[in-house]
Amino acid sequence: MQHILRLSILLIGLFAGGAAYAADTAASAPAVSTAAPAAPAVKPALTTDDELGPVVEQPIEFPHNRHAGDAAQGGMQINCMYCHTYARRSQVAGIPPVQKCIGCHQSIESVKETPRIKKLFEYWEAKKPIPWKKVHDLPDFVRFNHERHIQRFVFQQNRPYQEACGYCHGDVKNMTVARRQKPISMGWCASCHQKDHPVDDKATKTTHGPNDCWQCHK
Amino acid sequence: MIENEFNRRDFLKVLGWSGAAVALSGCGNTSIEDGKEIVTPYAELPSYVVPGIGVYFNSTCSQCEAGCGVMGRVREGRVLKLEGNPDSAINRGKLCGLGQAGVQAHYNPDRVRDPLLRKGSAGEALAWDKALGLIGDKLNGVKGEEIAFVTGAVSGHLKALLGNFMENVGSKNHFVYEAVAPAVVRAANKKAYGTEMPQLRLDKAKVIVSFGADFLGAWISPLNFSNQYGLFRKGVHNGGRGVLVQIEPKMTLTGSNADRWIPATPGSEGVLALGLINALGAAGLAVPADAAAAAKDYSADRVSRDTGVSVEQINKLAALLKERSPSLVIAGGAAEGYAHGSQNAAAVALLNQVLGNVGKTVEAANLVPFPQLAPATGNTAALKQLTEGLSAGKFKVVFTLGVNPVHTAPAFAKFKEAYAKVPFKVALTHALDETALESDLVLPLDSTLEDWGTVVSEYQAEEAQIGVVQPLMERLHPNTRGAGEVLLSLLKQRGAEQYKAFEDYYAYLRSGVVQAKGAFGQAGADDDEFWNQTLRSGMLKVAASRSALTASASAAGLALPAPAAADATYPLRLIPYVQPSMRDGRHANLSWLQESPDPLTTIVWDSWVEVHPKTAAKLGIVEGDIVEVSSKSGTVKAQAYLFPGLHPDAISMPLGYGHEGLGRYAKGVGANAFQLLDPVYEQATGELALNETRVKISKTGQRVVMVKEEGPVGGSQAGRKKIAVKVSTNQVDLSKEV
Repeated sequence: MQHILRLSILLIGLFAGGAAYAADTAASAPAVSTAAPAAPAVKPALTTDDELGPVVEQPIEFPHNRHAGDAAQGGMQINCMYCHTYARRSQVAGIPPVQKCIGCHQSIESVKETPRIKKLFEYWEAKKPIPWKKVHDLPDFVRFNHERHIQRFVFQQNRPYQEACGYCHGDVKNMTVARRQKPISMGWCASCHQKDHPVDDKATKTTHGPNDCWQCHK
Repeated sequence: MIENEFNRRDFLKVLGWSGAAVALSGCGNTSIEDGKEIVTPYAELPSYVVPGIGVYFNSTCSQCEAGCGVMGRVREGRVLKLEGNPDSAINRGKLCGLGQAGVQAHYNPDRVRDPLLRKGSAGEALAWDKALGLIGDKLNGVKGEEIAFVTGAVSGHLKALLGNFMENVGSKNHFVYEAVAPAVVRAANKKAYGTEMPQLRLDKAKVIVSFGADFLGAWISPLNFSNQYGLFRKGVHNGGRGVLVQIEPKMTLTGSNADRWIPATPGSEGVLALGLINALGAAGLAVPADAAAAAKDYSADRVSRDTGVSVEQINKLAALLKERSPSLVIAGGAAEGYAHGSQNAAAVALLNQVLGNVGKTVEAANLVPFPQLAPATGNTAALKQLTEGLSAGKFKVVFTLGVNPVHTAPAFAKFKEAYAKVPFKVALTHALDETALESDLVLPLDSTLEDWGTVVSEYQAEEAQIGVVQPLMERLHPNTRGAGEVLLSLLKQRGAEQYKAFEDYYAYLRSGVVQAKGAFGQAGADDDEFWNQTLRSGMLKVAASRSALTASASAAGLALPAPAAADATYPLRLIPYVQPSMRDGRHANLSWLQESPDPLTTIVWDSWVEVHPKTAAKLGIVEGDIVEVSSKSGTVKAQAYLFPGLHPDAISMPLGYGHEGLGRYAKGVGANAFQLLDPVYEQATGELALNETRVKISKTGQRVVMVKEEGPVGGSQAGRKKIAVKVSTNQVDLSKEV
């Protein structure tokens, strides 16, 4: 009897732990009953639906909307790849060097005295990098290549860059500090890789993303 | 208690349930972590950097003394991988396992990070200026001759600076100690060819007879020789596939690649060489009179008796050598490791000369025309001298750099006890090895991937070059310094005027190299341009000055002893094995090297005792038995491995294992075979004769399953004693005809 009691204590403990973990990592996941395994959560379907990540506090509250947003909303409509310039050339998109920010901001007198820009110049004068927090952080066993995706969707299929970047990064042009909007889970990646799409903007030939394990898990 | 009653089945049940629960509840995106890690951009971006894409910088490997050029892949300021530099004549774009592990030497978790001062049995971190000040005080308190500096082989500007430092403190006690060095061969070469390290042209030879030179594994410049070996086998410069015959009591990597591997009786290599001269004479080759006279007593019958090589095989070998010229005969580890090692090497040199190879496949050495940068090569005679000095209490301050004599000195030398007599011992080191653990002050050194320097290797390829070492990344630990930096600081501290101008070792090195730009054919070049070009290529090519090559091997004074009588107490001979990745053990703390299987036995993470299956059958030993190996000087225990590539009267153990320090990956792994060595010295040079140790082995009753790549798990343990008697069918008895 004691035996079964111990077993059930352990089970409940494990469930509580598992639930806490799930709640922690996926805000939208329904809470799991800690009483018994009789109330399983509904498995989410593979989807490109939005799934908002946690708010990430950054050293400088960078307004993406002001830089990349539509002119109608007061944005500058700057190309994503003006700052994240390596996305088309490297596996990482790259956080712009402080130099890049200063390149424009040293001649934008109108905002020079705002707190954020002052802070930016402090970093620059100390020649220190800004310690940004990673918002889209894939685990180390996943190898994602920006170049491949940008080449295909922006340069071969001639799609708008904000749409292409937005597949994974969401509606960044309307955000201030970037926040994860998509699940970026393996199932979510695979859901796209299974879809056919034309090779380039003129082709009738279609293809789809690779589904081999080693493409991402090298 | 819960642990007691909770059995495995219940546990698995619980695991199963919880696994299912996780699968049902969480799903998918559990591994992405937003806002946990920091991504640091550059403040200013150098124009050549694209994050995510590697940039290659050239430098020079310093894992061994061969001085191969390397290219390091650097990404976001971290060096990730080393490759061989294709422009380097020594390695031609190749890099061995030892070199690859250079990255691990750099990122090793057990690197010393601060200067440490001994406080009882522990070390206490102190600042560099304090440490250097302390050394300065100690140096001022003693006479010049009471200061000693012990290093491994050292070359380039570091050697020059070290020379200046020793001069400044008024000491002549620079000991260059290498635990495994071809010191006897160097001396014999000097006599026979007029140069210590003639250039060997393996690629031009039609036949190579190597007396235990493991030139593909661990001998002098393995990558250079491997490259030449490729050409030799493809017949690029020698008109057809070359034939390699390896004569050695323990099969090495080179032996396993040979067309014929001959385990001549250990110590009889010279006899075999003279026997070959005699047989060549008999076969009609014109043999000079003195050589013929020296060899006339070595009839095939006698040689066969002394060496254990059949008459037929001797004659075959002689016929092969006569038919195919030029050939190349190399004296290596198996020839030199005896009390009469010089005689063996001299006999081999004489054979080379009789065959007319000198000037054809043995060429004059390429020398870098800067004698002050030429390598100071080491030997074990230096260790003997040092130990005597230490025992007599002659030295008050001793520095060690790039050596670990507490580990590599044989037990009989009682080096540790002698070293303890020194009042102030300073270790310049990367990790807390055994010698550093005995020291009073430990100075942490930069890794090669963080340091500046130049390397001049002893063996230069067809083009002579000076390897340039440059940092591939920022210091991993802010409190390490380069050895050159330490010496320069000490010199400045002692008020040496000529060094005041140099802000740091980099400035010293740069000025030294740039001043000599004329010698590199760049007299008119701009200083900055020349220096940048040097760093870009990672090496300085120089017009070599060729050493004089003489064919002066003579039969005069050649006296080979009769085969040693069997020892009743210690019936077996220990052949210490210089393993290609472990060598003398300085890199035992690199887990890649521990993890990479030995090329012959495929054993990992441990040392082993190779026993011939016949000997093992006699002693009732099977694979995995823990055996006790005893010599007059010491005893070690290790797992037995039955290996047919061995002379039946010999056993073999790899060197470099059995550390008591050096960090988590080295400590306690294997047994230290240096401890077994007997105090037998080579007569002409005073070198420790590595192959002269007599041992006995006995079973301890324990048995382990060996961790190795080859064969079934547990090897031939399956049938226990029965199966050990015969050699299993998939193995060839290599001591017979191949």
